[in-house]
Amino acid sequence: MFVAFFLSPLAVLVGLSLHAEAAMQTWTIGNYTKFLADRFNLSILWDTLLLGVKATLVCLVFGYPIAWVSARADRPRWQSILLFIVILPIMTSVVVRTFAWIVILGRQGILNQIALGLNLTDEPVRLLFTEVGVVLVLAQVQMPLMVLPILTVMSRIDPNLLDASRALGAGEWRTLWRVTIPLSLPGVIAGCILTYAACVTAFVTQTLIGGARLIYMPLHIYSQAIGANNWPFAAALSVIFMLAVLAIVYALSLLATLSRTHVHA
Amino acid sequence: MITRPNRRQALVQGAALGLSSLLPHAAGAQSKTLVAATFPGTWNEAHRSLLLPAFMKRSGATATQSIILGADQISRLVAAKGGKPPFDVAFLDSPQVLDAAAQGLIVEYPAAQSPNYKDLLPEFQDKWGPRISMQIIGIGYNPKKIKTPPKSWDALWDPQYKGRVGLTALNSQLGIAFLAEINRLKGGTEDNFDPAFKALRELLPNVGAIGANLGAYATLWQQEQVDIAPYNFNFVQTLKGKDVPVELSIPDSGPVGWHTSMHIVAGAAEPELALSYIDTHLDPAVQAAMLKPPFDVIPTNSRVALEGAITQSIAKNHGDLANVRSIDWAKLNPKRGMLIEQFNRDIKL
Repeated sequence: MFVAFFLSPLAVLVGLSLHAEAAMQTWTIGNYTKFLADRFNLSILWDTLLLGVKATLVCLVFGYPIAWVSARADRPRWQSILLFIVILPIMTSVVVRTFAWIVILGRQGILNQIALGLNLTDEPVRLLFTEVGVVLVLAQVQMPLMVLPILTVMSRIDPNLLDASRALGAGEWRTLWRVTIPLSLPGVIAGCILTYAACVTAFVTQTLIGGARLIYMPLHIYSQAIGANNWPFAAALSVIFMLAVLAIVYALSLLATLSRTHVHA
Repeated sequence: MITRPNRRQALVQGAALGLSSLLPHAAGAQSKTLVAATFPGTWNEAHRSLLLPAFMKRSGATATQSIILGADQISRLVAAKGGKPPFDVAFLDSPQVLDAAAQGLIVEYPAAQSPNYKDLLPEFQDKWGPRISMQIIGIGYNPKKIKTPPKSWDALWDPQYKGRVGLTALNSQLGIAFLAEINRLKGGTEDNFDPAFKALRELLPNVGAIGANLGAYATLWQQEQVDIAPYNFNFVQTLKGKDVPVELSIPDSGPVGWHTSMHIVAGAAEPELALSYIDTHLDPAVQAAMLKPPFDVIPTNSRVALEGAITQSIAKNHGDLANVRSIDWAKLNPKRGMLIEQFNRDIKL
């Protein structure tokens, strides 16, 4: 099953990327040299990978405290309410969530209406179709992928360790810094891997919030395949993009292994 | 007492249900089903509420209308080549018809067996399939912000609209048609698009947003993110119907447009039904009904007189429709990939 439904389409993709035309007649590595020789393509790949880093960091900065508060909530009821709020975004479609953000970020949107109402600005601020907008929306849309792994790891930390830290005279912050954060690192890294992979490939959010002027790899692949009908080049783009993301995910998982040995040492 | 099926009964019933869905025609040969492609939005609504009932009444068969954009229809037909195509009737814009015909995805239309075909205005007859409507582009603007309708494409370059101009990416016909018209007005030819790209680069300071696709483009208007932009007649009519502040002005250089047509797919499972479905779309009664709001579908049958919104700004009569400037897609199509790439390079932030 795995071979039939996962590996064979991948093999076709790689095969297509090594041909000059969609009918797969002449073998060539031209699609790859074309990509590597062109700064335009490389800048799109770089922008996309960087976008993922930014969105993942924002996600981590907001997501970690949420996970920490939920894990420490005294009553189970509070914990389940917080958990529900975290999971809520997954229950609606990405398209719906993204459209809601258009209403919030637009020139006539809620944020701009408030800013204008409070005389913070004379002109509506441009948020939609900017990279800042894309990063913010991606961070919100993918938040559950960050919070859930961290929360899982955190709630498995033995509470005695925290008590021991306090009994030995460490304050709340010191306990958080020296005990909770190192022990929750595997969850943080798992969350980062999931969020990163989801952010760089989020075609819907990137195109709806970013518009056509911010070109990231998914839109680039789409316009080569559907718009320009250049399937082999689109396939080559997909393969390169996949390898780049895999490399980053692999680096992150190496970090996870390191952090585990560090904690246990 | 409620009896609950045990696991074995449930399995048997489930399997029977699964098997029956594999045999859709076992129920009776008389209920044949045609699969026809349609576009999202207004087109889908017009086809479902007007074309489908007329077709069912005429043929006694039923049809599944599958919402797929023109470019996606081509890719799906290419993917299914040699096997059973995923739909029987293709619904395409002029440029894609050439692609589909060149790749052998559609068959020549048997006009002799199509009673309504001869009534089509001459410019809407085509050997690959009848043109059932046309799309016309002009300058879309927000009447709340812009009081006098702009009468020239140059208005987009006016410094007073800094940050207020919208554009759409070149993966839509609208984007390509706009680019081609600007190129013509700025002195370019089909072989030389430099004048258009030079003009576009000069336009960029005014451009507030570029929609990645037509759905995102409509949102720009709904959210009043832009005040002025190239747009087409039917999209404007649809948005106006939803109380979005948008009007279409046809510049003095004249309207530009392309045709939308229906085709029998090569290797179609139901070619006769496909013919009957397409001919139903040519029926004067169907076209007259589609011309009424909220659809405002421009008719192509000579027996349907123009009326309503179309006559106010674009065409008073059939002669005007024939005079709408078209684009030489045969020359432009091979350049499409290059144009998209150049456009993306020039606009990238």
